Amino acid sequence: MSNFISYTYEEHVITRQNKAEKVFLANFEADAPILENAHVIVNPYLINPLAALILFKTEKTASVTMTLHGKNNARENIVKEFSETTSHTIPVIGLYENIETKVTIELSTGEKKEFFVKGQVVPKAVSRCRNILTSIDYFGTDFMFLSTAGKSLPSAYDYKGEIRWLLTINTMFDLKRLKNGNILTGSPRYSRMPYNGTGLIELNLLGKIIKEYRMPGNYHHDQFELSDGNIMALTQDFHTDTVEDMIALLDRETGKVIKTWDFKDFLPQDQAGSGSQDAHDWFHNNALWVDEANKTITLSGRHQDALVNFNYETNTLNWIIGDPEGWSEDMQKYFFKPVGDLSKFDWQYEPHACVVCPNGDVMAFDNGQYRSKSKDKYIKNRDNFSRGVRYHIDTEKMEIEQVWQFGKEWGPSFFSPYISNVEYYADGHYLIHSGGIGTIDGFASDVLPAFLDRSDENVDVFSKTVEEKDGVICFYLEVEGNFYRAERLSAYHDKENVTFGDGKLLGELDITPTFGTIPDVEEVMKIVPIENQISIVEEEDKLVFHGTFERGSLVMIVLEGPDEDHGYYINTAAVRHLAMCSGAFLEKDDRTIKHNISKHGLSGKYDIKVIIDDYKYQTGISIFC
Amino acid sequence: MIKEMNTIEFDALDKQGVMLVEFYSKTCGPCKMLAFVLKDISKADPDLSIYTIDFDENKELKDKCGVKGFPTILFLKDGLEVSRLEGLKQKPAIIKEIEKMKN
Repeated sequence: MSNFISYTYEEHVITRQNKAEKVFLANFEADAPILENAHVIVNPYLINPLAALILFKTEKTASVTMTLHGKNNARENIVKEFSETTSHTIPVIGLYENIETKVTIELSTGEKKEFFVKGQVVPKAVSRCRNILTSIDYFGTDFMFLSTAGKSLPSAYDYKGEIRWLLTINTMFDLKRLKNGNILTGSPRYSRMPYNGTGLIELNLLGKIIKEYRMPGNYHHDQFELSDGNIMALTQDFHTDTVEDMIALLDRETGKVIKTWDFKDFLPQDQAGSGSQDAHDWFHNNALWVDEANKTITLSGRHQDALVNFNYETNTLNWIIGDPEGWSEDMQKYFFKPVGDLSKFDWQYEPHACVVCPNGDVMAFDNGQYRSKSKDKYIKNRDNFSRGVRYHIDTEKMEIEQVWQFGKEWGPSFFSPYISNVEYYADGHYLIHSGGIGTIDGFASDVLPAFLDRSDENVDVFSKTVEEKDGVICFYLEVEGNFYRAERLSAYHDKENVTFGDGKLLGELDITPTFGTIPDVEEVMKIVPIENQISIVEEEDKLVFHGTFERGSLVMIVLEGPDEDHGYYINTAAVRHLAMCSGAFLEKDDRTIKHNISKHGLSGKYDIKVIIDDYKYQTGISIFC
Repeated sequence: MIKEMNTIEFDALDKQGVMLVEFYSKTCGPCKMLAFVLKDISKADPDLSIYTIDFDENKELKDKCGVKGFPTILFLKDGLEVSRLEGLKQKPAIIKEIEKMKN
């Protein structure tokens, strides 16, 4: 009966990793290999083909020096010491793809062995480096991590532009190293269009997911670890009419939401909209920076062209960096007056990423899309520029001075209408990542690059990452595809580089809103028509319904349960997205819909049926919650 | 009571009392869904007058009413607009507007 309906049960990556880890650790204990016949497991956690684990035991306690040899010369070697033990689990991070990388293990007892560990073949869809300019003197053995903004896979590049780290799952948005050395980034699991994943994932560089923090309002764009280890993450409340205008404070141990902040409490929603604003996504918060000493949070709001600082204890507004045009009289007191060399001063427009420097200066990536508050003065993308910018602000005098910028001089060749970031390393030493460049016939595209058809030979989509030190460009990386942010990290850190034990699924998803009225249409004992290409992917905590429908169809998924039915209305109207900071969930056919249904709040057996216009069809599939 | 109307019929209508006027399009999924919601409301309150008007075929009327898109529901009392809802809404949101209008 279910010939036309594809059904898949997809195990969570954490579950698959837990099983894989149990197997290789059991083999390790059973075999108890010594250095000579150590177990070498490439891609032990199934999602990083350029990592390995070397497992062996020693009779006496010994420390280990691991050397991962570079391809070209000894200065490329990555050397890491591991503390004394008799049971050695050595993570190898940064294998070269599809060739044997020499790894030397040297024990403090004098024993030594060379291994040749072959990195796996990486997926074809990986984004290759097109151009890199730097030196080992400057960049050393660090990697430049690029987090994804679409179908590209998160990848890290060495000073030669070689891919040395990669995930084969499409994690999204910001990628940051936590105090414990793990990295925190967006979950690749679909929850809601345009780009809401279920939450955050914490993983080590081997690819082991330690925790997934599921969030009721999902996660988007950015997160920030606090001094107590808890996490502030950008979110929203899907029970309201607006999105991307809230922060959730997550308990690091339980993943539960401790507190939320709603920007509607201190910002007007109907003023000074940027060129991309609509009533639904009125602020488009894409970054946060927390200053615990002053109890303030600085936000980047693309759709108000603003960098906003508020007190998170009193929920009151402190200041706004941005063009004051279009804001009401009573809001003007929050804005700064430009001082200094005004011939070089520009406000930021539609910014992404904000950073507060140690002296209180504020940095941002000024995407600059439209570059005006007035429609009649909008600048076309092909004539525009993007840049990193640093402002010095005097909050007593409410004065602002632009003290640095990089990018304006590169004009449209560095223009990203969306995504991108800046990083502060030291005064005069910055990273500027223009991650969303898209051109048609060589000109900056007016369409967001996430929507461009990359198979068109006239289309080009790429990103440029620069590090500038004291006015000199010391690093330049150009990579195919768009990447949300860039983050320079070392392969190893001083904390635990490898941890064992089951990864955890924390927090919870929201109850998926149902539609109160279920159309009273004729039920037919037929499977949904084949042209609707229905597929259902069930996961541990949710299911995702896929289908293709003609525009204007009435479509509803109905879960018929033991006590009550749940109807989920599917909008088949064309939706115009004014922001698409990650195109990871975009479909080639824009009539294709994906609808996520959380199992939270469901209990028992449900038969899945689909209403399409005048009929209720069968799928032949039941789920148990 | 739900009744389909065109511009001429609507202009001639006695607009005393409380009524809902829905502008819809035949090519609109949310409008099709809203039709079931309105049917449900009408079932519970058969005396309530609900008029449906084809957006595409009654352009002059929709312009006169300032309706920009579909579905749009106008809540009228004695011929005067009290409020409107744009887009697909659930039953409670519509009933809330009706209650407001009645009180």
